[in-house]
Amino acid sequence: MDIAVLILILKVGLLILILLWISISFTMVYRRRRSRKLRLIENTFAEVVSNYLYPDKENPVSLVEIQRLMRKIGIRESRMKNVQYLIALMIRTQRSILGKNHDRLKQLYGQIPPFRASISKVRTYGWYNKACGIREIYEMNQTQYLQEIIPLRNHKNLYVRREAQIALVVFLGWESLRFIPYLKKKVTRWQQIKIVEKLYDLYREPQVESLRKIYGSDRVFAKQLIMRIIRKYGLESEIDYILSHLDHSNYEVREAAIYCLNSFKVTTKIEEIKNFFHRIPVVSQQRQLIDYIFENSQIDLDFYMDLLRTSNDEIKLKAAEILWNSGYKEKVQEFYLQQYSNTGVYAE
Amino acid sequence: MQNDLFNISWGDIVFWSVNYFFFFYGLVLMSIYFTGIILANRAIRRTKKRSVFLNVKDIVGATDIPSVTLVAPAYNEGLTIVENVKSLLSIQYPYYDFILVNDGSKDDSLEKLIKEFELEPGDATFITQPIPTASVNYIYKSRNKKYTHLTVIDKNNGGKADALNAGMNFANSELVICTDADCIIEQDALIKMVRPYLEEDDKEIIACGAGIGVVNDSVVKNGVLKELRLPNNLVPMVQVVECIRAFLLGRMAWGEINGLMLVSGAFGMYPLKRVIEVGGFDVKMVGEDLELCVRLRTHMEDLQLPYKVVYLPETLCWTEAPPTYQVLINQRDRWSRGLWETISIHKHLLFNRKYGKMGLIYFPYWVIFEFGAPLVEFLGIIALFVFAVLGLINWPYAILIYSFIYLLGCLFSTAAVFMYVKSFNHYTKPRQVIELLLASYLEPFLYHPVLLYGQMKGYYKKLFKIKSGWGVMTRKGFKISED
Repeated sequence: MDIAVLILILKVGLLILILLWISISFTMVYRRRRSRKLRLIENTFAEVVSNYLYPDKENPVSLVEIQRLMRKIGIRESRMKNVQYLIALMIRTQRSILGKNHDRLKQLYGQIPPFRASISKVRTYGWYNKACGIREIYEMNQTQYLQEIIPLRNHKNLYVRREAQIALVVFLGWESLRFIPYLKKKVTRWQQIKIVEKLYDLYREPQVESLRKIYGSDRVFAKQLIMRIIRKYGLESEIDYILSHLDHSNYEVREAAIYCLNSFKVTTKIEEIKNFFHRIPVVSQQRQLIDYIFENSQIDLDFYMDLLRTSNDEIKLKAAEILWNSGYKEKVQEFYLQQYSNTGVYAE
Repeated sequence: MQNDLFNISWGDIVFWSVNYFFFFYGLVLMSIYFTGIILANRAIRRTKKRSVFLNVKDIVGATDIPSVTLVAPAYNEGLTIVENVKSLLSIQYPYYDFILVNDGSKDDSLEKLIKEFELEPGDATFITQPIPTASVNYIYKSRNKKYTHLTVIDKNNGGKADALNAGMNFANSELVICTDADCIIEQDALIKMVRPYLEEDDKEIIACGAGIGVVNDSVVKNGVLKELRLPNNLVPMVQVVECIRAFLLGRMAWGEINGLMLVSGAFGMYPLKRVIEVGGFDVKMVGEDLELCVRLRTHMEDLQLPYKVVYLPETLCWTEAPPTYQVLINQRDRWSRGLWETISIHKHLLFNRKYGKMGLIYFPYWVIFEFGAPLVEFLGIIALFVFAVLGLINWPYAILIYSFIYLLGCLFSTAAVFMYVKSFNHYTKPRQVIELLLASYLEPFLYHPVLLYGQMKGYYKKLFKIKSGWGVMTRKGFKISED
């Protein structure tokens, strides 16, 4: 390679380095200015909300004044980043205010910008904006857009369909569960938890009939979701649904069943659970079930002695541990001594 | 033409072969690094976008998120043990157990813990231990309801890996985090770490790591990082840039193509079930974190199950970096021995089609570049010296080439700092950024040669079978805020 070419490459490298320095400086300056701007929006919005919720009787603030103030701090359609930040603030505020003030806040939200910003986002092509729009719609309870959101529950993009599913739960409550068996793509554990949490936050009164309607679904995620709902609401009447899945062929379903069962103290069905124990093919899950049986019933010597005689070392040790710590040390000692004599260690 | 070919001497052949070898090796390595920048940038942007829809606040009140056990081994850490445990106990997560394993400390660590946390011993005779470890003496639980999630295991000394195994034996949770007792972990770290496990549906997450930051000379109060400062000395300051490069660029890039082979031992989360299946950490290794990750991946490949190793770009764990050259040399010596051992144990993976991309790309990368780079660099120095003595070097040309390589290094570090400044709010003052950049520009002269020496020392020990353990990591301690 010619020296001149090397020098040229060096110059280009130096230029890139200088560009990187400029980018770092620009990023830092921009961030500082942006933080200042966002603080201004936040403070102004906080003031607007407090003046609206707790008005000064002699000098009440009008909606026109609020709108003017918002424009003054840069909440305009041409400045989408500011609008986006305001939406985030509105959602955050709404989450933390309850009761009558919550309703008044909704009135305020109907009057100030950025109304219609969210639905415009839902109608865009990109997945990020679409999903953000749906999130804003359900967070701000804009029920009027439900019909546009329903078809998105099976959208090809993971985040769009997730947000659409949550929107259905928020708007339709227990009724929305009827969509679950017909979802085309898997529902992740995160999404299941989020659905359960939203349902519980907004619809505290359980509607068991709606739940039972989807019991027939053979989708793995539907089964897991149903069990999580039963657990969250503490629906003891539905415990049989959980029990019937203890020996399911799918590992994840069994895992969810054992996990959910742990929230209930089912003393009357312990014998049934003991029967399930032998039908579980995975040792780690058997161990979890032993823990449950131990914690929820009187010590059953025969059951644990049987476990002590199984071929699996982990189960054997687990049973030994339970017996040892429950006042049956001599049984464990006797069993192990027997083992030694069988292997001939002490023979003759 | 033919005559010219016959006139080439063996000396020329050796000279040009050596030159081209170094040239192409460097070229490939640089290409990988710069591809890494592109991949990492993509991964960070995507993670940022996704995080809008994976807000931890949405599930923070949930009762069916996975339980997590944090296991931290401690050996002779009596001076700071109480503060460290308090710090780790303050982590916010609803289903969280903390197991501290006293690995046969010879100081008063255990006595201090018993007194401070009102511990009382339990019977450890019959507890199921799926992974064999050095014998456990007692298991301590606190009488104080404030510390119900704390368990202290007192066991005979067996090393860090053995202590972690003992902790995992007693864990009764879905996930387990392995860390060091003196790490400062962000309050919301666990919920952020759990997120990938809940989110993934097609592949099983077998390990998850996050960024680790350098906390030397920063202000810590009640075990919580109050003010992040840049270290005063060059050695730890360069390690700040090194961490940014390694975690933000390197691991994010490899994570993007599911090629991560290492989740740092200072802060790594694993599904307990899988770790027990593979028999836990290998107690004979000094690089137990790397080896476990490789073994977990191999295990999943053997089972033919889809899996993923993920990395979060956020810094969720803060630790003290080696403050002096001597401690740094010890650390890098240990790391290179760990790498040597891991590569020796898993050499069957090299270019093994059975293990897919891991066998054909990721493991060979570790062998050729992670393991090979210090060797190539060392040989390069020897070659340079020999060629200089023989008068074979065209100095103006060589200086230009070295300047170019130095510039590439500066570009890479600057890009890393830029991405960090853009994505995180940790170092926001112009002075801090300038100091970071200066440290990275001085690195090739004042830091890298020492690093190379440490690595070569490790290889030397392995080559000549010189026995060496973990070495001593002298810590300076954090600045503790009084108010």
